[in-house]
Amino acid sequence: MELHNALKKAGLDPVKVALSSVKQLYAMTESQLLEFKYSLIADAFQFHYSNNAFYRSACEDKHITPEVIKSADDLIKIPLIPINLYKANDSHKLLSKSLKSIELEMRSTGTSGIPSVSRRCSETVDNAILGIYAMYREFFEISKGAGLYLCPSNEEIPEMGMIKALNMMAGMLDTHQFMVKNESFAPEDALEQLARWENKFDRHIIGPPFLINRFIRYLKATNKKIKLDKNTLIITLGGWKRFSGEMLSRKEFNDECIEFLGVQQNQIRDIYALVESNVVAIDDEHGVKHVSPYIHFSVRDPKRLEQEVAIGEVGQLAILDPLSCSTPGFILTEDLVRLLPKKQGDLRSGQRVEYVMRLPESLEFGCCAVNLDKQLDDTEELHTETCPVIA
Amino acid sequence: MKKDIGTLMYNDIIIKNFTEPHNVGDLESADYEIEIGNPVCGDRIKVQLLVTDKVINKAVFRAWGCATSVATANIFCSSIAGEAYDNISQRQPLEIGQMLGELEPSQQHCVEILVELHQKLADTISSGVV
Repeated sequence: MELHNALKKAGLDPVKVALSSVKQLYAMTESQLLEFKYSLIADAFQFHYSNNAFYRSACEDKHITPEVIKSADDLIKIPLIPINLYKANDSHKLLSKSLKSIELEMRSTGTSGIPSVSRRCSETVDNAILGIYAMYREFFEISKGAGLYLCPSNEEIPEMGMIKALNMMAGMLDTHQFMVKNESFAPEDALEQLARWENKFDRHIIGPPFLINRFIRYLKATNKKIKLDKNTLIITLGGWKRFSGEMLSRKEFNDECIEFLGVQQNQIRDIYALVESNVVAIDDEHGVKHVSPYIHFSVRDPKRLEQEVAIGEVGQLAILDPLSCSTPGFILTEDLVRLLPKKQGDLRSGQRVEYVMRLPESLEFGCCAVNLDKQLDDTEELHTETCPVIA
Repeated sequence: MKKDIGTLMYNDIIIKNFTEPHNVGDLESADYEIEIGNPVCGDRIKVQLLVTDKVINKAVFRAWGCATSVATANIFCSSIAGEAYDNISQRQPLEIGQMLGELEPSQQHCVEILVELHQKLADTISSGVV
């Protein structure tokens, strides 16, 4: 709180300072970082409590006021918004600011077919963009190269959260191509594009895992193996589960990337993110996922949501996100995760997370990547049905 | 200091109809039901109607999706409640689109939604399918 107060006294926004100081935050001691996160979250809680009638009413029902949140140990008391409220047709009640202040509406559509819609004011958009880019730089250090996007562009699916987040990386590259167009993906075209970039750019492949897996299946089926570059990154976000329910194992995916794309383990990086939150959690070179250092993960016992599980145990993820100004960033997700302990030699403070699965009770088991996966299958089926050649 | 006015994403018509959607609801015994959806962005609207002698006595909806599509459903229901179907069927696409006010580019698909709702209404009443 001392740092937070000092920043405010100096006329600085502590959130903006945090967003521009990712490396420095990770270098803090654990207790310093937790204290600073607490101060950001407490400030955000005060704001939403004061400006959101729906949220304040929920807090009062639980006898929680800003005065109750006195330390990091009290963060568990902050009331959480179930993530499915972002699908409700009265989701305007989540807003802590007028609808007139909303600059961007983002969505994600999973298997239920009902979109989850999040609305961001200008300040939240600023925070989200700063946060995403800061984390990209911290973990990918990308500033050049060619990006092969195995997903559609935002031109095809405006305001789709996953696509937007991945698209932002394009601005740091020298060139990029989207290989999913009009709900169709031709892996041979992707292969040709990679060949055109060979020896001209470091080549990166970016997209949901199952769409990258489609490309690998093509390579496998045509008995091809390629050798990407020593600085290549395979960057994935979302889409670990197909629309059919089939789960792609991370190990299997990594092994196939190594075999067919010619990369090393440390070149395969996954991102965990939600359209409803401004958090990103990104793999380091050892495959350990680090949570944005200004956001707090609280892993709850699914049967007793008021209690956290121990480090290493699986629980239901709650996110405390102080970057969100338009809605309370205190969300109970439907994701089961575990927080991992810090290992010897890992220099970053903060939280490390391993995604496990969606809650079995959840109607959703994916993000918009699931729909992309299904659409591509549907398109292929249509082509097969109309193709005069018998397979 | 940056003013928090965003880029005025929603016009006043949309704001009012999204934040005060007075036609939200369900009918125990609907005479007709129409539903439209977009599998890509996920916008989905279900409308239930009470109709007597081709007059729309009551129209309620459930909608999921962007604010503008939810508002569109409310605007549609408001515009047809108490109206004779023959009058509604005279509406032209241009007139229909203007019901939503000036929209941002990312919201233009809602004009198509509103036109489609009118078309579905025509198809439903003509066929008599609940």
